[in-house]
Amino acid sequence: MIAYSSQKVKEGKIVKVEAQFDNVITKLKISGDFFLHPEEVLDDIEKSMLGLKRDVSFDTLVLKIHKIIKNYDAQMIGISPESLASVIREALK
Amino acid sequence: MKWRVLGLETHDAYFNMALDEAISKRVIEGSSPPTIRFYNWSPNAVSIGYFQSIKDEVNLEVCKELGVDCIRRWTGGGAVYHDFDGEITYSVIAPASMFPKNIIESYGVICGWLVKGLESLGIEAEFRPVNDILVKGKKISGSAQTRRGGILLQHGTLLYGLDLKTMFSVLNVSRQKITNKMIKSAEERVTCVGMHCNRGKMEVYDSLVNAFTEGKDYEFGTCSIDELARAKELAEHKYRSNEWMFLR
Repeated sequence: MIAYSSQKVKEGKIVKVEAQFDNVITKLKISGDFFLHPEEVLDDIEKSMLGLKRDVSFDTLVLKIHKIIKNYDAQMIGISPESLASVIREALK
Repeated sequence: MKWRVLGLETHDAYFNMALDEAISKRVIEGSSPPTIRFYNWSPNAVSIGYFQSIKDEVNLEVCKELGVDCIRRWTGGGAVYHDFDGEITYSVIAPASMFPKNIIESYGVICGWLVKGLESLGIEAEFRPVNDILVKGKKISGSAQTRRGGILLQHGTLLYGLDLKTMFSVLNVSRQKITNKMIKSAEERVTCVGMHCNRGKMEVYDSLVNAFTEGKDYEFGTCSIDELARAKELAEHKYRSNEWMFLR
């Protein structure tokens, strides 16, 4: 199954998620007009979601994103781990 | 540190973005000085942010019909229509240590130069974080920044004129939906230099040069042969490639 979700998040930018899943996430594509430094971190965030169960909790998603952001000392502008997790969670409904 | 200023030049979208990257690489290595560029886009072009999906944002069919180029930027942010007659684009490429570590604050510094340039034309403008400049509540400039290898690259546009009809036709809104109401709504949110003063584009450019260089040790320069060669290669093999274009 492929599902989409798109939101203008409270930090101000648009976040779009395309998720492919059965019981687990097999593909995830995040796009939008936000900023993330360094940019390549988004690939790692997408990869970290693969294999997670479709009903993965919001808190688990937030933790995973936070961990990657911390590892890279990355900065998100116009988006946050919480708002990104929320759009991913919405796509998995 | 002495700045290099590259005066207003016109290139296609691929070379423009490739040149920003080629200069960035040399600034990272320390073989090029901090650089301020001013440039036009010809043919007209749409640039999308690094994280955007080209299929979501751009009407490729209309772009092809109108001869409008389409490119993915190296920086995040949103889709922009670059009209040769309607804007001046700038890039600032420098060691990140020359700017505040906080990204919003560094946007504020460079956008402050644009605000000063507008002020010298008698236009009162304000920086609106994250990356916009507003005049009377309407957007007149947008910028995008990236930081890699210890350098900061910020590029952005100053709207000089508005061609909303073309803008809406190349961005992904179907032609049937390009209503007068939509254009009116955009006119309420976007403005341009031409709506606030009667100055030629070169006069506006001169104001920007003065504001960007104020208080700096600088000289007008040219790109090195090495930067130009690298940019040519990047334009052909990276920015024109489908792999880059359809990255997301």
